[in-house]
Amino acid sequence: MNKVISLVNSDRTLVRWSTVIISLLLGAAIWEAVGMSFNQAFMAPLIGNEEHPGTLPRLYVYFFDDEEYLLSLVQSIQLFSTGFVLALLVAIPMGIVMARLITLRIALENYILALYVTPMIALIPFILSILGFDFWPKVLVVFLFAFFPILYNTLEGARSVKPELIEVARSFRSSELAIWRDILIPYTLPYALTGIRQASGRALVGMVAAEFFLSTSGLGEELITASRNFDMAGVLATILVITGLGITFMRIAQAVEKKYSAWRGVDR
Amino acid sequence: MNDISEQLPDQDAEAAAEPGQARIEITGLGKSYGSLQVFKDINLNFGEREIVTIVGPSGCGKTTLLRCIDGLLPVNEGAVQIDGDEIAQPREGVAMVFQHFGLFPWKTVEQNVAYGLKLAGVSKSEIQKKVPEYITLVGLGGFETSYPYELSGGMQQRCGLARALATEPHVLLMDEPFAAVDAQTREILQFELLRIWALRPMTMVFVTHSIEEAVLMGDRVVVLKGRPSSVFEIIEVNLPGPRDRSTLGHPRFAEIREHVWSTLMDEARAAEFEVN
Ligand SMILES: Nc1ncnc2c1ncn2[C@@H]1O[C@H](COP(=O)(O)OP(=O)(O)OP(=O)(O)O)[C@@H](O)[C@H]1O
Ligand SMILES: [Mg+2]
Repeated sequence: MNKVISLVNSDRTLVRWSTVIISLLLGAAIWEAVGMSFNQAFMAPLIGNEEHPGTLPRLYVYFFDDEEYLLSLVQSIQLFSTGFVLALLVAIPMGIVMARLITLRIALENYILALYVTPMIALIPFILSILGFDFWPKVLVVFLFAFFPILYNTLEGARSVKPELIEVARSFRSSELAIWRDILIPYTLPYALTGIRQASGRALVGMVAAEFFLSTSGLGEELITASRNFDMAGVLATILVITGLGITFMRIAQAVEKKYSAWRGVDR
Repeated sequence: MNDISEQLPDQDAEAAAEPGQARIEITGLGKSYGSLQVFKDINLNFGEREIVTIVGPSGCGKTTLLRCIDGLLPVNEGAVQIDGDEIAQPREGVAMVFQHFGLFPWKTVEQNVAYGLKLAGVSKSEIQKKVPEYITLVGLGGFETSYPYELSGGMQQRCGLARALATEPHVLLMDEPFAAVDAQTREILQFELLRIWALRPMTMVFVTHSIEEAVLMGDRVVVLKGRPSSVFEIIEVNLPGPRDRSTLGHPRFAEIREHVWSTLMDEARAAEFEVN
């Protein structure tokens, strides 16, 4: 029994990867079985057959035989990156400034906390009906989804900067600019990156949500069109694409976060 | 390395015997945090190339005093002058070794030691030359690329010492620099520091909890006492020659140590009775 447990829990690469692969294959098999036994209008299989083509064949068609779909994908990625990058550029400096200017922080803190916990999705109809439906209002939606997690975490990080380090900097006659460069930014970076990782997931939700409402576009439009036509293979294929995007962003953010958090070795 | 220090005993003795004109002048200094008055009416002069050690019970304001001298804290009464200039903010040529180490956790030992030099605008090639020198000096060779969390407390403290020394200050303020090291390492570092000092004498204000250390390192020992505290006594150590292991066995060493010990013990007893 002990042998079995230690084999199961061993972290040898071989055991790990076989576990991952078996788990994925099992998931695929269940999907396939459920998909084949249901009505096509409710559920599409993963692979399917001749008269009942599934999600993966559809994905193949989307990527290699459907220029419009690729355009939608590009459109979505554009929307996502614009909103996300803008959120980054505003939230991080703002978080650090607020850590240095305590009055500003006290003035804004409650709003930030409130907006951090507000489900942004509730604001979308409001934003789109005031600002319209073209590209920039949608960017604003993505921005808002991403902005608060980044701001909130950056602020938390900047607030916890050790006063001792600032004292050292002052003792060595550091300028304010150098305090930012040598202490505030490196200290805050890991926190900001945690926020960025959270934000990448939220921004993706924001992206799809913005594309759903009224003037549909991008992957959101593909999703809606497919579901109106009861094209479940299309719906699931697009969901897979969005999931793939999400996992990619998340993994990148995680890797960057890990790299710049190494010095927090004591917290491990 | 030892050769060099043996060549310099005369200079050492001379510097210890007759400290130059006052480099640091503290007059009527008082400091409060809100309603808590930490110390009052402190008058002290530290000569050029003099080593003054400061002892006193925990919480009596030793760290606070060093912060005032460094210009990190505004004072409430009196003034600190260095070379005749009143200190309102940190001054060039004055470096501090912190009780809390204050190392940058995301910087390696090398980068931490280079910090002060970089801020002072020292050229890259000069930094590359000096940093390894001071790392070796404090005995951290081989740990250049380690991060602080990979070092022991004593090693972190030595890294902080190297960072301060690297800027080649005229005034070195040290806040319990060897508190986190074991007795053996401590002794090695004490004599190392005296050796470094003999090579490049500077004014050194050295706060410590250890009476032995205060007597061993200091030309004079300042005893802080009371609540709010003030200077209770200044003891001229004038032990002969360069300080080394044999100093610890010198009768005068034992005598001063006992004297300081009983002074502080009175205070500790008084505090205890107050509590009871
Ligand atoms: N930033 C601060 N704000 C308020 N009170 C403080 C502050 N720093 C220190 N104190 C108080 O001032 C007194 C002196 O503190 P200080 O750190 O100077 O003592 P110390 O002699 O260095 O003690 P130790 O030997 O334990 O290091 C203590 O009572 C402490 O509580
Ligand atoms: Mg202290």
